[in-house]
Amino acid sequence: MTDFLQLTVAGLSQGSVYALLAVGLIATYTVRHVVNIAQGDYATLAGLGSISLVTAGVPLPVAILIALVSVTLASVLIERLVISRVKNLTTLVSIILTLGVSTLLQAIMLLVWGAEAKRLPAFPGSDLNLGGVSIRSQELWMLGALVVVGGGVLLFYEKTRWGKALRASAEQPVAARIVGISPAAASIIAFAIAGFVGAAAGVVSSPIYLSIWSGGLLLGLKGFVAAVLGGLVSFRAAIVGALLLGIIESYVAGYVASGWKDAVAFFILIIVLIIRPAGLVLRPNAVRV
Amino acid sequence: MSYLNKAALRSKTGFWPNNRGTIIGVTLLAVVILIVPFTATPAMMNIAVFSLIFALPAIGLSLLMGLAGQVSLGQAAFFAIGAYTHAILLQKFEMPGLVAAVGGVVAAMLAALLVGLPMLRLRGHYLALATLGLGFIVMIAVREWEFTGRTTGIYGYGRPEVFGVPIDNNGLFFWFVAPFVLLGLVLALNLTRSRAGRALSAVNDSELAAESLGVNTYALRVKVFTLSAGFAGLGGVFYAYQVQIVSPQVAEFHVSVELLLMVVIGGLGSVWGAIAGAFIVELLSEGLRDLIPAIIPGATGEVQLIGYGLVLILVIILLPGGLYQVVKTAWAAITSRIAARRADATGPAGAAALPGGAADGGTGEAPTRAFGGLPGEGRSGSDANDVAATSDDDAEGSAPVPTVSTPVAAGTPILEVRGLTKRYGGVVAVDDVTLTVPAGQIMGLIGPNGAGKTTCFNMITGAIAPTSGTVSFLGSEIQGRKPHVGAEAGLTRTFQNLQVFSSTDVLGNVYMGRYRKGRAGILRGMLGLQGREQYRHEEIARDILETMQLGDVSGLAAGDLPFGRQRMMEVCRALASEPALLLLDEPMAGLSGREREMLATLLRRLRDAGLTIVLVEHDVAQVMALADSVAVLDDGVLIAHGDPESVRNDPAVIVAYLGTDAEEAEAELKELEEHA
Amino acid sequence: MHRAQRRLLIPAATAAAIALAFTGCSTSNFGGDSGGDGASEEGPIKIGAVLDITGVGANLGVPEQNTLNMLAEQLNEAGGIDGREVELIIKDNQSTEDGAAKATTQLIENDDVDLIIGSSRTGPSLAMRPLVEAAQVPTISVAANAAIVEGSDWVFKTAQNDLVVLERILDDAEAKGYTKVALVRDATGFGEGIADIITELGSERGITLTATESFEPSATDFTAQMTNIRAADADAVIIWGITPSAGLAQAAYVQLGVDKPVYQSHGVANDAFFEAAGPAADGVIAPMGRLLVADQLSDDDPQKAVIDQFIADYTESFDSAPSSFAGHAYDAWLVGTKAIEEAGTDPEALRDAIEATSDVVGISGIFTMTPENHSGLTADALIMALAEGGRWTLYEE
Repeated sequence: MTDFLQLTVAGLSQGSVYALLAVGLIATYTVRHVVNIAQGDYATLAGLGSISLVTAGVPLPVAILIALVSVTLASVLIERLVISRVKNLTTLVSIILTLGVSTLLQAIMLLVWGAEAKRLPAFPGSDLNLGGVSIRSQELWMLGALVVVGGGVLLFYEKTRWGKALRASAEQPVAARIVGISPAAASIIAFAIAGFVGAAAGVVSSPIYLSIWSGGLLLGLKGFVAAVLGGLVSFRAAIVGALLLGIIESYVAGYVASGWKDAVAFFILIIVLIIRPAGLVLRPNAVRV
Repeated sequence: MSYLNKAALRSKTGFWPNNRGTIIGVTLLAVVILIVPFTATPAMMNIAVFSLIFALPAIGLSLLMGLAGQVSLGQAAFFAIGAYTHAILLQKFEMPGLVAAVGGVVAAMLAALLVGLPMLRLRGHYLALATLGLGFIVMIAVREWEFTGRTTGIYGYGRPEVFGVPIDNNGLFFWFVAPFVLLGLVLALNLTRSRAGRALSAVNDSELAAESLGVNTYALRVKVFTLSAGFAGLGGVFYAYQVQIVSPQVAEFHVSVELLLMVVIGGLGSVWGAIAGAFIVELLSEGLRDLIPAIIPGATGEVQLIGYGLVLILVIILLPGGLYQVVKTAWAAITSRIAARRADATGPAGAAALPGGAADGGTGEAPTRAFGGLPGEGRSGSDANDVAATSDDDAEGSAPVPTVSTPVAAGTPILEVRGLTKRYGGVVAVDDVTLTVPAGQIMGLIGPNGAGKTTCFNMITGAIAPTSGTVSFLGSEIQGRKPHVGAEAGLTRTFQNLQVFSSTDVLGNVYMGRYRKGRAGILRGMLGLQGREQYRHEEIARDILETMQLGDVSGLAAGDLPFGRQRMMEVCRALASEPALLLLDEPMAGLSGREREMLATLLRRLRDAGLTIVLVEHDVAQVMALADSVAVLDDGVLIAHGDPESVRNDPAVIVAYLGTDAEEAEAELKELEEHA
Repeated sequence: MHRAQRRLLIPAATAAAIALAFTGCSTSNFGGDSGGDGASEEGPIKIGAVLDITGVGANLGVPEQNTLNMLAEQLNEAGGIDGREVELIIKDNQSTEDGAAKATTQLIENDDVDLIIGSSRTGPSLAMRPLVEAAQVPTISVAANAAIVEGSDWVFKTAQNDLVVLERILDDAEAKGYTKVALVRDATGFGEGIADIITELGSERGITLTATESFEPSATDFTAQMTNIRAADADAVIIWGITPSAGLAQAAYVQLGVDKPVYQSHGVANDAFFEAAGPAADGVIAPMGRLLVADQLSDDDPQKAVIDQFIADYTESFDSAPSSFAGHAYDAWLVGTKAIEEAGTDPEALRDAIEATSDVVGISGIFTMTPENHSGLTADALIMALAEGGRWTLYEE
């Protein structure tokens, strides 16, 4: 039982990273119908950036703040320089395009930070041991980040006037305009949000999972699998899906074989796409509106 | 489904099975390949070998993306399956090279078939992402499986031998791969010009229209997906031979990205482009590996990725048609300049050529010579077509009509609709419609806007599935089946919102109408063994165009025609399939008076020839004048059905159709008729 | 222009582009020299190296690359071998088997090398083996697994065999009265076969293997493996991997509160282990060469002079202390160049000369090779080291 709980804790903390990335993916998908393959690279970029700052002597909170802001700006820059340049951007083209962005970001990270994995110092706090189940304080930070950042984005999109208008802007640009958001502005805001949550995922996870130039792709794809579990539209379903994915991966690694862990997400992806494209969303139509 | 720029595909206009271009091109390439090992530096030779190896999966991917309009981000999976199977058969089972190679290709194709069957039901980006997932699964599977040698892989199986000569250096290996690449190239080029290739290209333009002409999109896609995997598998076989180890890296995502890059650079749907793309990407990769560490000291690892990323982004933003588009645009500029110069020299006769046909006119060669490669072939088939028309522009009244099929005797029911209902959430679009259409009649379906006419049509033809009810065509129930099911049996339609195949010319559109009468499959298409069949259908398509006075524009891009003529072309396209039942959705809309007249005459004559026609029409007067019986839909409910006269006088119809006041409605109706 | 002609433009352009790209003079694309027998007896001596410079093996490959560059420079400054300059061509295999095979083919076909050193890890070394055997190029691997050289005529290696490393570990375990051990191993070639060897060697010592887990060298999360190890019935745990993964595994092990003693392999014989594992490294015991405990060696140790000189040279050149892996590269270079000095670059003669290596004092030990033994080190080459306060200390059993 202890082992089971231990694996569950590991899965939840890993799942919280997927969840943040899924939130970023949905933020851009609902507004632009763009599947952003580079979402995971935001995380590594923020991780590596903050590591450099900390190494240079910048206090951890400041380093994190700078990384969050820079990556948010980088995401907006990508939107302006790349995404918005393509007319009639279909989702399919967006995948190929952001694949290019992701490859470029990875190459830049490789050139700037080198090929080796780096680690951000753990955030303050002491590790817990609850009846044999060891919980790192960093894992609590990760779950906390999900609640604060992920929850914040969710509330923004679902409860505020601006957020609702943003969601509507993909299908009804006119409705968005009424609230005073042009499609271009909506797109920028969406990418800023995606950059911010991606960066947040990157800095909170770096102390445990490390940051390496090539790591973002797989991370982003797992986030995407979670987003598909949310039917690409529902933040709640995607967050639940992400946590489930993390837990299932952890069980597979613990009880089946650790090498197969990374395949789990893709089996789920294919099966969900074929059998239930609406994902975990219970009333698909109700959500899409 | 087609992605990126449709203009990039436009040149398929010219893909009738004339093999001269292919023969000359392939010969040129063969000569280059012969020379290269004597002139290239060892480093260049290495690039050349890998270019040829990767050209194979790139050709496959190019077919899948350009032809089937499907993007695979997991092409490396099939490349890896081919490589692993080959290596395992050689190393563990000590099979002869040829057997192992065939095994590799077959394994890749089988795997593709297996995963393609469920996955190709997915659309667009979902398929792309599912294939991406597949790539990862294959990579992890070979890494974890004892049988595939886990992380280290399969090695130690030695080099190939041809007639006792060991292929153990880059020069010989280059020649060893080359014939297969050339062969693959020819097969792929043939396929793009074949019946199946044209059908797939039509699917990219309008899936609905293609399916309504009998194209089984799903089956074709599965076949092309499988074929594409076969190309990838063959590439894998050669890769295994060249690298002498097959390890999980061959299945890695970046291989799929490289292949995607090759196709995108080369230009979608261009098989030649894929080969050029393979060479460019390999060159870029090697070049950057040398260049970047020179610029940025200490740069190590996969620095070439920076080029991949940049090129991928730039091509999509600036050059969505890839190299193919560049070369084509440049060539068009050159030829138009030459043509203009010649036109100046020869005087006004040359300049009078049609705008789109300028290039053809310039050479003084008649458009019908487009398949001049095989004279005589074109005519042989048309004899078989007993009712086929010969063109006679002046006497349209007496011109023969296109062939129709008459599977049942006139008057017996050909289409029976029972309790047809469509609900969207709480809204009932069509409510319990029951209707029988007797053969050899024209039936008009009328009703106010939003009455559910087109929805009805869509359910009958299979474009949408009914919530309940049955549609029985020629005795078999087809409700809920895809449009090609009905189309294969002889049920064809046109569209209210035109569904033109914009990537081909007018003739190519009408030729697609012949799809259900053709037989040649992908294999015959690839082997180039369907010329005879294709010429025959092409000839019939041309005759139909002549009958409908569209012969003069047969070589124009379909999208360039004026609206009215596009509509006529759609009718031609539907007629080309020799239908038993023709469903026309507002065929008169946008036609000129003369065109309406002509169409009405044609429809009557087709009916006399035995064709059953159902038309939805906004123009009530036209329907009343043309139809043998009229059905009226209002708010999804069938409120009247009978001969025109009784329907016209049906008070319910008048009220429903034109408002609450019967007399006022009557007046309006009269006015409308007079106006027409 | 009619259509047929228009269609030619793409093929014609492609052909022209390819033809233009291939400028250059005719060379040996038909492999005149690829048999190795034609290796030139004049001009520079070419030594190729295939190393894991980037990717998961970078902690091994980079110091190896440094060492080879430094030694080649030293040798050429001293006038080369028999007046012939030594040209060193280093290729990065990116820590992949695939990359190793491609790089090896290029070294053999394009560069026509006389001797190859590499790869850094077992998997890529195994990938190179059939290629160098077919081309008959003497090759010295700097990786560990005995399978690299087993039954090979052309491949040698300088890292201590996993077999002798495990012998030392199990001897220590037996002495401490452990009867059950658990294994957490690298999932790649380096870790393959380790479980079998432990079972076999353990049976002679009354030690059984009770659990095995594995991890990818790129892994960063080890919770699942270590949770299972925590639940396993074992007196001690062997973690078998390279840095940084083995160090991260060590950290996860301690973090999850497993308190059984840990043995690691010679794959962690560098400072990167301490960076990855942090304070969790304390108390780990690992067999390794003498390099990392050079300051603690007695003055009469036969290797001390060689090791001290190497540390001084390396530190001067690269501002950091060399790792054991740098030592493996040193040894490969030493054995290889000594043989070339004696036998020249004729492949068979060179191979025979390497096989005749006898009592050559290197960094990892004293090498004596034979036609049957292409590894050349005995258990004496290893000492047991204890991790203490961020460094390795000589551990008296």
